[in-house]
Amino acid sequence: MLRHASRRILGLGLAETRSSTALTTRFYHERVVDHYNNPRNVGAFDKNDPTVGTGLVGAPACGDVMKLQIKVDEDTGKITDACFKTFGCGSAIASSSVATEWVKGKQMEEVLTIKNTEIAKHLSLPPVKLHCSMLAEDAIKAAVKDYEAKRGKSVASTTDNA
Amino acid sequence: MGEEDRTPLSSFIRKTLAQSLSLQLLEETTSQLQNQPHFSTACSFNTNEPPRVFKTPKTNFTRNSGFSSLGSVEEISSCCWNCKTRRPFLICESCGSVQPVDHSVDYFRIFGLDRRFDIEDGSLEGMYKNWQKKLHPDLVHTKSKEEREYAAEQSARVIDAYTTLRKPLSRAIYLMRLEGVEVDEEQTVSEPELLGEIMEIREAVDEATDSQALNKIQSQMEEKLRHWCNSFANAFGSKSFDEALKSIQRMTYYHRVNEEIVKKL
Repeated sequence: MLRHASRRILGLGLAETRSSTALTTRFYHERVVDHYNNPRNVGAFDKNDPTVGTGLVGAPACGDVMKLQIKVDEDTGKITDACFKTFGCGSAIASSSVATEWVKGKQMEEVLTIKNTEIAKHLSLPPVKLHCSMLAEDAIKAAVKDYEAKRGKSVASTTDNA
Repeated sequence: MGEEDRTPLSSFIRKTLAQSLSLQLLEETTSQLQNQPHFSTACSFNTNEPPRVFKTPKTNFTRNSGFSSLGSVEEISSCCWNCKTRRPFLICESCGSVQPVDHSVDYFRIFGLDRRFDIEDGSLEGMYKNWQKKLHPDLVHTKSKEEREYAAEQSARVIDAYTTLRKPLSRAIYLMRLEGVEVDEEQTVSEPELLGEIMEIREAVDEATDSQALNKIQSQMEEKLRHWCNSFANAFGSKSFDEALKSIQRMTYYHRVNEEIVKKL
């Protein structure tokens, strides 16, 4: 039901889906709808750029894919920009959108501590959609890991790279 | 996925079920189910047997009427509740009474099929219609309330069986469940090859401007689906459940692409 309402990528001309979400027994939280209608940070960086880390994760049970990219300042280790592209339900899209917002301007070690529960709480995700926020958390970690691998450096490993 | 497509009839049946007393008994049945070992791999039923004659397995959760709930379930459940003859399979041969649902009968048994992935798709619809001719709630208006409820449950179950077995992906997932392997909803993967491929395909679908391009991608997906269906059949047949799960993952991804294409077309 949710899926039927919003299985689209953001930023490519959205049809108005408010009416269809109203017919479902479960409603999207207004923040999710906001991220859907006003997408932030949709796009792509050049993945061969050495300052870019790309995280590509998927949830095979529902066939979702999520790509999250970060641009890192080499000297300071700070994330200067982030973008995402997600094919999945509204909750997955919103989760990755929130993730890109939250990582901007933070240190890499810091973003590794972002928990899916925080994202889920911010978006008031229902229990069945918790795995979408998990996907976003994994995407962040994957992006950082990719950047590290490229740079050959390692971030202080006090955080758990689950 | 296919399972979510409910015919209006089956949703009506479910509503009636929820309203009737059988809800309580369904819960009873479910709690009994949880206490019993799962009846899965021990099946070596003769597959050529017509679906009429059903050898009752030891664990049998049919509802009883008028007997104490635990202990004596096994004895009475193997007989028709109405005429007490023989061992009925969904519906009694002798008196034609619809039997209560036996949850240990899996969907393949209902259609007299082997528990494997490759089934004859053509025969499924015919058997489904035959069952509905006998079990449909509309046919039991004059019968007792109890039998009407049985008919509603049996009919709904046959519908579930049909919709699950009809589509390859849901059939594969169901087969795995029968073996005790569940597809993990929460699992995330980061296989760059597969995900990169899917990402590209999904982007192509999004950017496609005409139906020709979409149809082309769709047929590519169908080909991939065929390939991975075969892969699943082989893996499942040789009990390589990890491989089978991987095949299901692929099938899910390609199936999703096709869902999107259909929406776009």
